[in-house]
Amino acid sequence: MASPSLGVLTALSARVGNLTFGGGDPTMAAFQQEFVFRRKWLTREEYGLIFGLARVTPGTNLLAFCAGVGWRLLGWPGALAAVAAVTLPSAVLVVWLTFAYGELRSNLLAMAAIGGTLAAAAGLMAAGAFQLVRPHLRSRAWIRALCISGGAVLLARVFALQPIVVLGLAALVGLLWRGPEAGR
Amino acid sequence: MNPLILYLLLLKATITTFSGMGSLPIIRNDLVVKRHVLTDRELSAAVAAGQSTPGPIGLYVVSVGYFVAGTPGALAGCAALMTPAFLIVPMLCRLGARAEKPLVRSAVSSLTLAAAGLIVSAAVPIAREAVTGPLHAVLAIGSFLFLVSSKRDTLWVILGSAAAGLAAGLV
Repeated sequence: MASPSLGVLTALSARVGNLTFGGGDPTMAAFQQEFVFRRKWLTREEYGLIFGLARVTPGTNLLAFCAGVGWRLLGWPGALAAVAAVTLPSAVLVVWLTFAYGELRSNLLAMAAIGGTLAAAAGLMAAGAFQLVRPHLRSRAWIRALCISGGAVLLARVFALQPIVVLGLAALVGLLWRGPEAGR
Repeated sequence: MNPLILYLLLLKATITTFSGMGSLPIIRNDLVVKRHVLTDRELSAAVAAGQSTPGPIGLYVVSVGYFVAGTPGALAGCAALMTPAFLIVPMLCRLGARAEKPLVRSAVSSLTLAAAGLIVSAAVPIAREAVTGPLHAVLAIGSFLFLVSSKRDTLWVILGSAAAGLAAGLV
């Protein structure tokens, strides 16, 4: 397997990571095309291992994936460069959008447009939650999925438990009440 | 707010969840409910800004940092977003084989399901703040339906809802 230079890895990570809309899965698929099939920097097995580990790494899966690929190819400098290249350009754009929000607060028309996006954000959050649950609803363990998700809503809204406590309880439930991914 | 404290609070949210938006309930609880340094409206705007750009889901944390503490806050948010990613390195070194263990996968799937529930829980007060009339209700429900029934980019939802809001403002 060939290894890239730090500059090439950074430039490629920045290009793929900041020009692919749709979040982690489409971006990791684009990285797979580049790293595995086009440039042959990683084997399919290495990609599969890093992809799987990124799923169980806390935080944003895509960034963990980039850290894993960067580390595998060029050690810690590669990990740092890949994560920074994927994050920083879009982060600058986000800061600019946030700054513009503050500037536009006194403009009625701008606030009407922003009001529309804020309402959409509520739908977007609900869709994000639904998309996390949806694959589980198609499996035979849909009752488990509904109990855990519904239980989390209940504990947070009715019993006002801290989110971190709810997540801790969920991990415990996951260990005791195994899902289909745990097999028989 | 001190950027270091902000970094630690945001890190607590990003390092204890497994999806970009999963950190939202913890951030809301710490910054909106407990410390009152962020409003639900600003949190909604941060989510909208984060979803309007390419790059990793979860970038809204950078916007949250900017709302709370300006540019140093944005840097704190960026650092809190990136830090957990490096946990994969020791995992790659030592735990590679265990990631596929059934028990670990079961616990992670349970965490993901609970994160979904917590996102719904956090979305309720945000929706109350953002949905102030029939148009906003249509936009919120329409965005949900559009996103769960198509593979199109969230950018279209943000742009479309902004255009609808602007058109309503002109009328």
